[in-house]
Amino acid sequence: MDSLKSEQNESMQTIFAIRHLNLYYGKKQALHDINVDLYEHCVTALIGPSGCGKSTFLRCLNRMNDLIDDCKIDGQILYHGTDVQSVNPILLRTKVGMVFQQPNPFPMSIYDNICYGPRCQGVRNRTHLNELVERSLREAALWDEVKDRLKTNGMALSGGQQQRLCIARALAMSPEVLLMDEPTSALDPISTKKIEELVMSLKERYTIIIVTHNLQQAARIADYTSFFLLGDLVETNKTETLFSRPSNEKTERYITGRFG
Amino acid sequence: MVVLGFIIVRGLKPFFHSYRETLADGSLAEGTASFSYFWSGIRYNNRFDFETHHYLYGIGHLIVNSLILNLYTIILAVPTSVLTALFISKIAPKPLALILKSGVDLLSAIPSVIFGVFGMGVIVPLIRAWARAWGAKSASGVSLLSGAIVLTLMVIPTVISVSVTALDGVHKEQMEGSLALGASRTQTNFKICLRAAKSGIFAGIILGVGRALGEATAISMVCGSPIQGITWNPFAPTVTLTSEMLLAIGEAVPGSMNYDIRFSAGMVLMLLILMTNVILNDVKNHLSEVNPPPFFIARIGKVMKKGTLAVISSFRKSWQKHKAEKEKKQ
Repeated sequence: MDSLKSEQNESMQTIFAIRHLNLYYGKKQALHDINVDLYEHCVTALIGPSGCGKSTFLRCLNRMNDLIDDCKIDGQILYHGTDVQSVNPILLRTKVGMVFQQPNPFPMSIYDNICYGPRCQGVRNRTHLNELVERSLREAALWDEVKDRLKTNGMALSGGQQQRLCIARALAMSPEVLLMDEPTSALDPISTKKIEELVMSLKERYTIIIVTHNLQQAARIADYTSFFLLGDLVETNKTETLFSRPSNEKTERYITGRFG
Repeated sequence: MVVLGFIIVRGLKPFFHSYRETLADGSLAEGTASFSYFWSGIRYNNRFDFETHHYLYGIGHLIVNSLILNLYTIILAVPTSVLTALFISKIAPKPLALILKSGVDLLSAIPSVIFGVFGMGVIVPLIRAWARAWGAKSASGVSLLSGAIVLTLMVIPTVISVSVTALDGVHKEQMEGSLALGASRTQTNFKICLRAAKSGIFAGIILGVGRALGEATAISMVCGSPIQGITWNPFAPTVTLTSEMLLAIGEAVPGSMNYDIRFSAGMVLMLLILMTNVILNDVKNHLSEVNPPPFFIARIGKVMKKGTLAVISSFRKSWQKHKAEKEKKQ
């Protein structure tokens, strides 16, 4: 972890620098030579059609692809200048949190859901945990809805609440980066709006990288947008630029709905 | 259902039908089995009380011994099989898991008498040596502990295969969620997988307990046959409901008290298994659901309360009716 911190001062702006990233599932190549910088305290949206490698790319950033047996990674992913392949994945994942497409609260109480991560790192102090639960739930805009029933099962919440609980759970680890893999695709419009507002409020303290199928969503909340197509990173730019004056013809076709 | 009815009818017979038998000392006995001694007695043999004209067969100690033996079995079997299931389902590489799985399935097909001879040949001498090393008294190794170990061997295949199924069914998203929070594999396995699969694992334990409670052959082979008494001592021989039913059944004359009382013991055994299952199922339901239903026993209590209240109110109504009619007449 020290090595991660010492590098921090040199590159304040760029948090992730990806260089010549190739990824293979068995013999099939899923990502082709990705080069991109992701910036601190920004919301970066990854857009593109299904199966284009957005989620695969996202999962490289906290090494969740390690869990897939025949997955092979070439190239460098530098997190604060350190290659993520060389750091302990457990430490990496405490710094780079993740929220999934389907809300996946654990079958335990709301309180225990939030405390799960810190407890796994050996935090036992009751008052500290209590503060942590309140802070995380407030940050995830869930505190007012659940403060009277912290002992109820997390599975008993509604879908939108469950997803915010998952965000709160990730925030309890005090990560620097929050990876979100289509966090709103399983939710109704009102829950989606709440999550989007939440993302906007969180970007001051966290770096957020979000995969989305919803172009309007990307336009609403993202500072930077990357467009993926068939395993290639076609274009990365400021969101306004990418949506108003895309430099690549493929991007233009995709965002105007004339894809294919 | 037919079997259940048969056992109940035959099981109740010794308490109502009068048996005329010649005892070992030549005296003639005639009477029924004592119902109160049947439940509370801790001695099971052919004795006769000439004052009350009752045969004295006690199964109180048998019930308790059965439960103790099962408790020991659960203590041995649950950790072993749950950890094995976790290893098979989550840790072992696929080829090894496959081999272990088929091995477990094979183990569950072995008949109980084989486990019995294995217990006699391997476990009993081991326990004997162990007891000698510790300076504990043991009846040449024939003991409660041997019984518990043999039963454990018999039930773990069932518990393991049900638990493996339950653990395989744990959602991948849950495990990924845990790992993404910086939990290690081991923490994920214990905190998330076991927790998510606990009701399935419990179902396996229920099946295992059902098998253990009903097991007779292997137990009578390795547990000995003391005449009386409850024992907690793992090195002491013990006798359970099932092994007592099986004991010297060849020498019992059909139609005699010694023969018929076994049906009563069988009835009690079925009752015991039924009750254990109800209680364990309650616990399982309590574990599995987000908002668990109240315990069965609590439900029975509620129904009884409701029923009593209904009866009282109907009595009150008819009493008031009666009163009103009386007043009318006057």
